[in-house]
Amino acid sequence: MPRSKRVPDSEMLQGTLDMLILKTLVMGPAHGHTITHVIEHASEDFLQVEQGSLYPALHRLEDRGWLSSFWGVSENNRKAKFYKLTASGKRQLIEETSRWRKIVRAIGLVIGEDKA
Amino acid sequence: MNIFRLLSRKRIDEELRQEIEEHIELERCLNLDRGLNEKEAVRQALIKFGSKQRLREDIWRMNSVTLLEKLSRDFSYAVRTLLRSPGFTILAVLTLALGIGANTAIFTVINGVLLRPLPYSDSSRIVHLEQAATRVGPDRIGFSVQEVLDYRQQSRSFSDLAEYHSMTFTLLGAKVPERVVTGVISANYFSVLGVKPVLGRLINSSDETLSAPPVLMLSYAYWVKEFGADPKILGRPFTMNDRVHAVVGVLPPLPEFPDANDVYMPTTSCPFRSSQGMIANRDARVLTVLARLKPGVTLTEAQADLSTIGNRLALSYPKSYPRAAGLAMKITPLQRELTHAARPTLLMLLGAAGLVLLLACANLANLALSRQLRRSRETAIRLVSGASTWDIFRQLIVESITIALAGGILGLGIAMATLRLLVAYAARMTPLATEIRLDGHVLLFGFAVALFTGLLFGSIPGFIASRSRLSLIAGSGERTAGSEGRSRTRNILVAAQVAFSFVLLVAAGLMIRSLYNLLSVDPGFKTAEVLSANLPLNWSKYSNLKDQNIFFQQILERAQQMPGVQNAALTSIVPLNNTEGMNGGITIEGRAVVPGEPLPQVDHQLSTPDYFRVLGVPILRGRTFTDADTIDSARVALVNAQMAQHYWPHLDPIGRRISTDEGKTWVTIVGVVSNVHQYGLNEQFKDVIYFPQAQVTFMGDPSLLIRTRDEPTHLAGQLATIIHQIDSQQPVTDVRTLDQLRNAQLGTPRVTSILLGTFAAVALFITLVGVTGTLGLSVTHRTKEIGLRIALGATRRQILFNVLRHGMAPVAAGIVGGAIAAALSTGVLSSMLFGVPPHDRVTSAAIAILLTVVALIGCLIPGRRAVSIDPMKALRSE
Repeated sequence: MPRSKRVPDSEMLQGTLDMLILKTLVMGPAHGHTITHVIEHASEDFLQVEQGSLYPALHRLEDRGWLSSFWGVSENNRKAKFYKLTASGKRQLIEETSRWRKIVRAIGLVIGEDKA
Repeated sequence: MNIFRLLSRKRIDEELRQEIEEHIELERCLNLDRGLNEKEAVRQALIKFGSKQRLREDIWRMNSVTLLEKLSRDFSYAVRTLLRSPGFTILAVLTLALGIGANTAIFTVINGVLLRPLPYSDSSRIVHLEQAATRVGPDRIGFSVQEVLDYRQQSRSFSDLAEYHSMTFTLLGAKVPERVVTGVISANYFSVLGVKPVLGRLINSSDETLSAPPVLMLSYAYWVKEFGADPKILGRPFTMNDRVHAVVGVLPPLPEFPDANDVYMPTTSCPFRSSQGMIANRDARVLTVLARLKPGVTLTEAQADLSTIGNRLALSYPKSYPRAAGLAMKITPLQRELTHAARPTLLMLLGAAGLVLLLACANLANLALSRQLRRSRETAIRLVSGASTWDIFRQLIVESITIALAGGILGLGIAMATLRLLVAYAARMTPLATEIRLDGHVLLFGFAVALFTGLLFGSIPGFIASRSRLSLIAGSGERTAGSEGRSRTRNILVAAQVAFSFVLLVAAGLMIRSLYNLLSVDPGFKTAEVLSANLPLNWSKYSNLKDQNIFFQQILERAQQMPGVQNAALTSIVPLNNTEGMNGGITIEGRAVVPGEPLPQVDHQLSTPDYFRVLGVPILRGRTFTDADTIDSARVALVNAQMAQHYWPHLDPIGRRISTDEGKTWVTIVGVVSNVHQYGLNEQFKDVIYFPQAQVTFMGDPSLLIRTRDEPTHLAGQLATIIHQIDSQQPVTDVRTLDQLRNAQLGTPRVTSILLGTFAAVALFITLVGVTGTLGLSVTHRTKEIGLRIALGATRRQILFNVLRHGMAPVAAGIVGGAIAAALSTGVLSSMLFGVPPHDRVTSAAIAILLTVVALIGCLIPGRRAVSIDPMKALRSE
């Protein structure tokens, strides 16, 4: 029984994080550290990925079959766990992306963004 | 969450740990690249990562089935807590074991008798047919051969219709001459029942002709008992009724229905059934009929079909169907036919056992409540440290279910231990008792009852505990506002207990009174020191009256010479032997016979002169039979007092004449004897006419009655010897004393009373514990208040009165509730009671007084404690 309510915006972030992870892995398998960096770098350091959310997200995505994982060797020659996008993961990414675009557009319409 | 992940949580965690280390290592390297020094690089990496432990816990939880996890933790906690208070645990487990055991045991019987499908194929379509002379009496009447043929031919509702009757014949060819109970059946009998042989074949239609070689089928039990389940039995010849019969098949184990037959033969082999007189006589209604309904035909349709045929027959044969008899057809599903006697008793016992269990639950809820009270501080601490109310509730429920399951396992053991006794008990009421055994259904029932019980008695304290106030933690604990609701709950529980026990005690009281009434019935004869034995007659050997007389005379002479014998007699029926009498119409001289009206029906009995002396039946008027009443002398008869009263009220029946053959021959009544309970202690007297054996040919099997000077069973062994000296092939069966027969009659009511009485006694005890315990607790709570009252000058009498009033209030409410419940429910006992109405006021009043007295005694214990409270101590105790 969860007793304390979570911070409301974390929930939206969670879904978004899933999409971002999937998107990152389109370029090829990567381990957790790389994923963090790619996301942070790509968003010009606007988005900060918390490890406390990243790893549960990876775990969840793997559980749903969108990712698979294997143990490989990292850039500094150490054993590291790599994640790889699966076929259903790709489909999920396309679906999430288009849904995200729709939401952004809809919200934009509502709050009356500058016609760009 | 899939179970695979649940099981590999440890491995996943280990991998995650490595993954985290790796992540931090990479971050450290990155920080070094950024130009931080070694120490700072590690620090920044760790800060950026956040709590490793928390992450691992999160993922661990993602892979857990939380409820299961919590339940197993609750369970191990419950086991530990319970082991820490063994007194409570043992009491609770034992109470529940008794309750669940009683319920499971009764359910085992119900499962075997009422719920399990009959061991016949598609048994719901098998029906039992019977006729009843609705305007004469409730007795069931069978069918005559002609009627069976007519119904078989004309009915459209049945795929087949089979006939059956049972007789005993002597079977020669086994080790000794044996008397076998023989089912005489039409060839289609077993195909109507849907039974397949375990060996050989069934009797078929080619066996059922007069020219066919006689055949036999053996029942499974007889095959095993007599021939050790010898598979070479097929084809073995046995001589019966002077003809050689070959065994063609063995039946599977079946209920002893309609009778406990040893062997089966086709109708054409039975000398009685195949005689011309029997076949032609439409009024000889002795056959049992079973039929199989066609698919889709309902009972109502079949009933209508039978009634149509019945009306048609009544038009064609008006003499056989007198309007005044009101002959009607009745159709009963086989299942009901087999269980109608047992059903109400078994259901009543299950209800009683259920009440005992509810009572036990109420008591345990009460116990658990006071336990919870003592643990309220623990509960409060748990609530404060983050447990949800659901956590508290669930933990208490798990605790009570743990107790209940332990009780259930023990209860199952109790049920298994009592099973043999219960089977013997049920066998008196239904032939299906052989079907009773423990199976999956019983286990499931026991488990479900245990679970239900646990939920029931755990939810009340659980509910109250989960609403615990945090103020409890402040220390004043047991005297806060919360305990008000608690004591109300306890009082309601006590009232419920009293009400349940009241119902049980009334039921038990009624049954015991009924048993007492049965025990005190004067059977009309003296049962002590009389031995009876059945001597099934070989009809082909002793077919006429002269031969019979010589044989019987020899038997009586030999029997008289045995040491310790006072006198001996032969009779056509032994009283209380569960045999049905011969019933026949009589014509009374000088009274007009109304055409279309049935003749007056009375029971016919044959006996030798000493019969009334052996049984100690008083002769009220006239004389008894003597040796002078012979085959050559004038025909005489005796009537019983009831018949004399019935047909000759205020007149002397002696010297009047009656006829049993519609006036062809006349018999003179020479005496009146006292009434005898022939058929059962709870049966009404019947009109009986006695004929001297010497003047009437025996049609049934005679029984020998011997009055001895001391214990009659001593003679049992010698009896067969002296009979065999006269005729070495004469079987001697059913050697029993009349006391044994009388006790057998009382067996079922006695066991029912014992069971109900035990249930009621347990209920009373549990209630007493409940009343005392609850009041005791309330006195403990009020120690300070009572101390204060005493200090302020209340007398001991006032204190005692106050406490007793507190204790007796729920008892009084319970008695009122119980009286209402009993009035509504004891009606179900009516068919089981003898000589006492189901709503007997005396019993209810006596039970109310009993409960009040017992409860008062229970209240006096805490009452005395209250009176002896020392006010100084009580006030200082805080």
